[in-house]
This record gives sequence, structure tokens and C-alpha cells, in this order.
Amino acid sequence: MKRKLSVLLIVAMLVTMLGSCGTASNNKGGKNNSKSSGNALTVWCWDKNFNIYAMNEAAKIYQKDHPDFKLNVVETPWDDVQTKLTTAVTSGQTGTLPDILLMQDNALAKNITNYPKTFVDLTNSGIDFSKFAQYKVALSTVNSKVYGVPFDSGTAVTALRTDVLQKAGYTINDFKNITWSRFIEIAKDVLKKTNIPLLSSQAGSPDLVMMMLQSAGTWTFKGDKLYISDNPALLKAIDVYVELVKSKVLVEVNNWDQYVGTFNTGKVAGAMTGCWILASVQANKDQKGKWAVTNIPKLDGIENATNYSSVGGSSWLVLSTSKNKDLAIDFLGKTFAGSTELYNTILPTSSAIATWGPAGTGSNYEIAHEFFGGQKIFQDIVEYGKNVPKVSYGVYNYEARDAIGTAITKIISGTDKAAALKEAESTVKFQMGK
Amino acid sequence: MTKRRIGITVEYIVLTIVSVISLFPLFWMLMSATNKSTDVLAGRILPGQKLIENMSNLLKTANVGQAMMNSFKYSVLTTVGSVLICSIAGYAFEVYYTKSKNMVFNLLLISMMIPFAATMIPLYTLFGKLNLLNKTLGFALPSLSTVLLIFLFRQSAQSFPKSIIESARLDGAGELRIFLEFFVPITKHTFTAGITVAFMSNWNNYLWPLIIMQSPTSRTMPQLISGLTSGYVTDYGMLMLAVSISILPTVVVFLILQKNFVEGITGAVK
Amino acid sequence: MNARFKTKFKLSTIGWIFILPATLLLLLTKFWPIIRALVLSFQSGVGLNTSFVGAKNYIRMLHDNLLHTSIFNTFFYLLLQVPIMLIIAIILAVILNDSRLKLKGFFRTAIFLPCATSLVSYAIIFRSLFARDGFINLILMKTNIINNPINWLSSPWPARIVIIIALTWRWTGYNMIFYLAGLQGIDPSIYEAAKIDGASAFTSLRKITIPLLKPMILLTSITSISGTLQLFDETKNLTNGGPANSTISISQYIYNLSFAYSPQFGYAAAVSFLVLIMVAILSFTQMKVGDRR
Repeated sequence: MKRKLSVLLIVAMLVTMLGSCGTASNNKGGKNNSKSSGNALTVWCWDKNFNIYAMNEAAKIYQKDHPDFKLNVVETPWDDVQTKLTTAVTSGQTGTLPDILLMQDNALAKNITNYPKTFVDLTNSGIDFSKFAQYKVALSTVNSKVYGVPFDSGTAVTALRTDVLQKAGYTINDFKNITWSRFIEIAKDVLKKTNIPLLSSQAGSPDLVMMMLQSAGTWTFKGDKLYISDNPALLKAIDVYVELVKSKVLVEVNNWDQYVGTFNTGKVAGAMTGCWILASVQANKDQKGKWAVTNIPKLDGIENATNYSSVGGSSWLVLSTSKNKDLAIDFLGKTFAGSTELYNTILPTSSAIATWGPAGTGSNYEIAHEFFGGQKIFQDIVEYGKNVPKVSYGVYNYEARDAIGTAITKIISGTDKAAALKEAESTVKFQMGK
Repeated sequence: MTKRRIGITVEYIVLTIVSVISLFPLFWMLMSATNKSTDVLAGRILPGQKLIENMSNLLKTANVGQAMMNSFKYSVLTTVGSVLICSIAGYAFEVYYTKSKNMVFNLLLISMMIPFAATMIPLYTLFGKLNLLNKTLGFALPSLSTVLLIFLFRQSAQSFPKSIIESARLDGAGELRIFLEFFVPITKHTFTAGITVAFMSNWNNYLWPLIIMQSPTSRTMPQLISGLTSGYVTDYGMLMLAVSISILPTVVVFLILQKNFVEGITGAVK
Repeated sequence: MNARFKTKFKLSTIGWIFILPATLLLLLTKFWPIIRALVLSFQSGVGLNTSFVGAKNYIRMLHDNLLHTSIFNTFFYLLLQVPIMLIIAIILAVILNDSRLKLKGFFRTAIFLPCATSLVSYAIIFRSLFARDGFINLILMKTNIINNPINWLSSPWPARIVIIIALTWRWTGYNMIFYLAGLQGIDPSIYEAAKIDGASAFTSLRKITIPLLKPMILLTSITSISGTLQLFDETKNLTNGGPANSTISISQYIYNLSFAYSPQFGYAAAVSFLVLIMVAILSFTQMKVGDRR
């Protein structure tokens, strides 16, 4: 009996070892998919209700003229896109990369500068970039070459609860084309009368400050030179942020889910960031009809300051390792850079607002949105997008953003502003290897 | 007598407090799985009525069945393989102790001291050259031998009575037989602990499966869950339901195995 | 003499054969990448455009303030959290080993469960618990321990404490499993004998349990040290290193250097070797102290 047991165990051991050596992937299909055949493309992107949905709709449109065309979307969270891309390119095993991937605009310049041969230069590909919002094209441009087909809009909006404003005697129009000092003035009054703050943000996140920075047409770099401690727009933006926090019209929370929670649960009466936030704003159906959207305040006394900016957003890139480069370019050109129908189709369910100009003429863009009290928000946001100042985020964008986030936290807890920014500057310089 | 009673009462109190602290977040998670997203964010801890809705949303959004199967296949294969390979190695490091083997052991220890982020790219490069990308073998290979398990079985072998080995040898038993017929049954509590921790770490393994398996059909549960949180909008009720489902197998494995912690060594020898 | 030597040789050979599969696998999947990483740590550049820079990456670490912050944070977690967790785990394992106890299976499972939880949910729940208007502040205010809510995750020291609480919550049950396995190796008659000699529970814990659990204590302390020095998940998910980098761990910094920032793989590899050296020193000191043969 016991002998049998030991024989059994040895057999089990051998089977496991041989078994694992012998079996190749059970997913042969998957392997074929990633090495696309002549009429198929593989795409990495990450949001089922947003960009994945948009891609699949684009495929349907392309299939009308190309019945053999196949599209294989691999759901890959953004962090994982970055990890897989870095791993594949650095190890030289690029066979596993897709034909097209979606990239956060924040990381675009960094990846293209570091892996210049990995992405296809689309400047002369036949895609007409002049039809896109120019700030998006600027974000996709590295060394005067355009690499990305712009996708979703990061156009900044101020979304506010009209019912709360009403209680304090204001309307959404009081927030249109105003300056930050006026905004804070009204927000303080709303807080006093209703006890509800207008804004919230994630503590330590530089998003709001960076949004203000871009609204004045500047960024953390001027050419190759760091532009932090002597950047008047940045200094002003930090002052504004600190005042928002100190006057309690902005509530700092600790992370993304709490941030969404603040306006979903009515603790805060507004949100100010990229227009993609509107999808989260609509999560609480009880607040239907009680929201409205306008542009963002502009910085007081800063040259070139505007009421328009951008946060987040992403673009499609074609990989040069793709065997179907031409197909990929043609596909993107005929859909995301050429189909009003596509943008019109995806708008109602995904709220993916186009940065491709002609898309704004689609019938759905004229819809009066019920959640936003009948406002034609899509049309408005497309209009805002035309005015967003052009900046370039640069290779060391994440380093600079992190350093500024740290500086803001320190300034709020009492560190001298100049000192904190000097430190931020030296941190970024160190990380640049200088 | 009363002193003993006080002692055991204190034990019950301590265990109850610790259990409540341990279970509270899990209870919250289960409750969240029955609530809608905005209620989860508001911190609602009471049961809601959205379980069915969350379930149907989850099944619509993600292929849970496939991810569970993938995770299960991968975890069982690597757990069985690694416990076999590491138990015999750990046993051998102790029972056939020599200075040179001890040096090998110390060297092996080093392999768990470096962050995975540093070795991930070289390992990927190597597996690419060996043509192991997108293969089950490539998926499993790095988990088949782990220092933790080797170490665990070595430590366990340290308190294993050597007299048993001696007398078995005198009876003419072969070395493999001694391992299988004496060491395995007597230290089955160690195997319980080993299988539990191996299964758990394989089940939760995220980074390596992510980069080595490219096909959408080979997604595992941790990847599926990560996908649910990566969009602009997260449905937290649905997410909590997915997470609740994903921890079930580990719980079941533990519940099945934990009976082995009951009897002491003497019971097993007799 | 000759025969004895022969048996000894034979046994040693069998031992090597038993060790071989595990060793070969580790050489392939761990050591080869480690050696590659070591080579990389003397290089600079990205992808195929790398060049040797000598010890520059190692010298660079001396001036890297962010690295110093991450080392400080990591050691703070290490020195406070590992001892607390292991002591609680031993006590729980000893209690659960009491033969008089009923409902053992339930308690064991309850205490083990946290480590089975997926990080995603536990991060969401902990962040919610420790929010400004969260459950923990509510309890502390109701019981008059504090007067004003603590902004746990937005202030450096409270945030570090939350990381420690979270780590302890999640990993105590995990370590307890090893101690339970170790306790099964102890003959209960030893305790009976001690009791007859009039030893208190504490004495028998100190004189019998701890010495006999030594192998497992060594195992858990080495894996916990190594785990804490490579800590990534908790800081990434609970605080993302903030506020103002006050909770960032070394591993999270390495991750940022490789994947979030403009990649610096050579430097990231050098920092990884710093971790390796620190774990190695701590582990082998432990082994020398704990494992005298």
C-alpha cells in the first residue's frame, strides 16, 4: 500500500515536470492574434466603456469598406501598457507588441524620445492633423514630428451643482469667463451660505496646478530648460491653490475614489478637471438635471492667461514593429481622423468628446444633455477645446509633476514657497542626471 | 482550576477581538458587493439590494469564468510543482547536510533578496531567447522553485526526528521512500502551510503573468480586477463583487487544508 | 571504514540529486537575471544605447535625496512593523495551539483571511476607514481619545502609521501559519511535564515554545525583512508614496525609475543591489545569531 503511494507520488512529480515542459500554450489563437495576419490589427487600450468601445465601433465602420478587416482589442490598463511596452522594447522582444496602442498624453513625449524607433512618424502619412484641436497635436509632436493620432479630449471644464449655486443666489453664468480671484470670492460666499465647498482634489496631486499652468500657455520646461521656480504662472497657480485650500472652498481628500465620492455623495458641489470627469459626475442619478458646465477661471495678472486648459487625454500610436503599419495608418486615418459617424456614434454612450474638428458637426453633439439641465455640453466643450493653449509636456514630465506635487504639499503644511520650489527644481535636475 | 478558566477566557477574548479586526474589512467588502457604486464610496456597511445587478454587470463586463479557470490552472500547476520540487530540496539540505550544500543554500537565499522590478526585464529577455513567451511553461517556470518553500521545508526537517531516518535505513528503506513514507506524512502540517502560501502567492501573482502572457484569453483574476479599476469611471459595487469572488479559491484551499493543523506530532508518528 | 565512507558518499550524492531541480530552476530564473542586472548597474542609457559608466550609478546614490527618504521610510516600517507582527503572530499561534480551545478552525480561518484578500479591495477599504470622516476617526472621537479628526493619509507620520497597521493586518495571519506548522512539531508532553514542575504559561512560552520555534522564527523574520525591504504594493496602493514622498518605499522608487519616469535602468539596478546587500547583511546576521550549528 505504502509502496503504491510512493510510486504514485513519483509519477505525479514526473507528470508535472514533463507536463509543464511539454505543453506549449493552450492559447495558440492568442499568439496568432498578437502577430496579426494581413488584414488584422491588435490594439492595446484600457477602458471598456470608453476607448475599447470606441475602437470596436471604429472597426465596424472600417469593416464596411474592408469586409475582411479584423480588430483584436486587448484590454490593458495604462500602467500595464507602460510596463509591457518598456519591457518589450528594452529586452528587444518586440514581437509581442501590438500594432496600435493608446498612450496617455502625459507619457507620450517621454516614450517617443526614449524609444524613437518604436513608433511610426505620422507627419507625412496622409492624416490631416490640421483638423484636430491644435493643443492635442502639439502634445503628440516630438522634434517637429507628429507621432500620435489624437483621441479623447482632456479639455478642462468647471462642472457645478446648479441647485447649490441657486441657494446661494448664483447661476452657472456667474462662473463663465471669470478670474480665479472672482471664483474664490463666489466660492467663499457659497460656502458661507450653504456650507458646501465647491471643489475637491486629491492631496499631493498636482493636476489642478498643472491645469492652471497650461491655461497660461506655459509648462515646467522652456525648451530644454527647467522652468519652475522662476515661472510666474506656476507661482501664481500655487498661490491660488493654497488659497483654495486655506479658505476651505476646496476639500483635499486622499485618493481617487474619495475624490469621486465627494461630488457623487453631494459633499462637494463641483468638479474642475478634464472633461472626462463628466462620466463620473453622472454616476449618481439622483443629481440628474442639477449640474451645469462652464469654462475654467483664468489666472489674474498673468500674461497670456486664458479660461481654457487640458488635463489628461490620450492618443493612438502606431508601432513600427507592426507588420501592418500601412493598414494601421489607413484604419486610423479613415476612422479617428476621418469619420464624423464614428465620433457621433460613440458620443452618447461613452461621452468620448472628439478632438477632431469635423466631429463637432455630428448630430449627437447638439443634444441637450438632460443630466446637465438641458445644456448642449458637448458642443460647448468642443468650443473650449479650440482655445486651449498649446504646450509640450516634455520627456521629464512625470518627474516634474511629482516634484511639484511634493512642493505643493510642503507649502500647504508651512514650508516657504520659494524654498520648496527650489528643492523641486533640484530634485528634477538630479533625476535628469544633471 | 479557576486560574485555568481565567486563562482560557482571556484566550477567547483575545481571539474574538483579533477575529473581529481581521474580518471587519472583509465583511465590509462583502456588504459593498451588494451595494451600488455611490453607496460603496459613501462607506455604507449594510447589505444592499444590488447584488444581482452587480453580478449581471460583472458578467457583461468581464469574462470571469475564463479568468477564474486561467488562475486556477496556473495556480494548481505551479503550486503542485513547486511543493514537490522544493519539499525534497529543503529536506535534502537538512538531512544530507554538508558544508558545500549549506553554501549552495546560502547562495540560493540571495535570490529572494532583490526586488523583482530589477530582474524582470533580464528574465523577459532570456525567456524571449528561449522562445518561452506566451507559453504555459514560461508562465510557470519562475514560480516552480522558490526559496521560501525550500527554506520552509528545511526548517521543518530540522525538528524532524533523525532517529526515524536511521531506523528506516536499517530496515533497508531507500532514501526517496524515507522521504515519501516518513517525512511527508509526519510533517504534513508543513505541507499544509507550504501549499497554502504557495497557492496564495501564485493566485495573486500579477506582474509576471501580465508581461509573459499576451493573449486576452489568458487573463487571470488579478488582471481582470485591475482592468475593472483602470477606466475613467469605476463601478465600485461590481469591483467589490469581483474581488469577493476572486478570494474564494484561497479561502477554500485554506479551509480544506487547515484540518492538518489539528493533530500534534506524536499523533502522526504513532 | 571504506564501506562507511561509501555510504556517506552515496547519501551525499542522493542529497545533491534531490537538491538539483530546485537549484537549476533558481539559477535559470533568478541568478541569471540577477547577474544581468548587476552588469546593468554599471551601465547607463536606455534600450540598446547603453554604455559602461563604472561606479557612477553607485556614487549617484549618495546624493539622491529621494532615495534617502525612501530608505528612511522603509527602515521605519522594518524596525517597527516586523517585530510587532511577529510577536502577535507567535502569541496567536500559541493560543490557537491550546488543546482546550473550541472553534479553533473558525479563529484560524478568520485570522488567516486578511492575507487572502486582494490588494485592490483592501486598499479601498483602508483608505475609506482612515479617511478624514472615516470610521477610525469616528471611533476615536466618540471615545474622546482625540478631539479633532486626524487627517491620517495626508500627514507624514500618521500615514506611515497607517501603512504599518495595514501591513500588520494583512500579514500577521500569514506568519501565524508558519508558527502553527512549527508548533505541530513540538511534543505536547513537554508542556505537561513543565506544568507538573509548576512552570507558568509565560515561562513555558519563553523556555519551551520560543526555543523550539526558533527555526520558524528565523524563517519568518528573514522573509519579513526581505518582504519589507521590497515593499511595494501597500505604499503604492494606500498612499502612492505620499504625502510629499513621506511614505515612498525603496521598491516603489525603483519602479518609478524604471517605468514611471524617463527610464534609468542602470541606476534602478544599482538601487536594487543596495536592497540586496541590505537584506543579505540583515539575513545572514540573523542566521548567525539564530542558527548556531
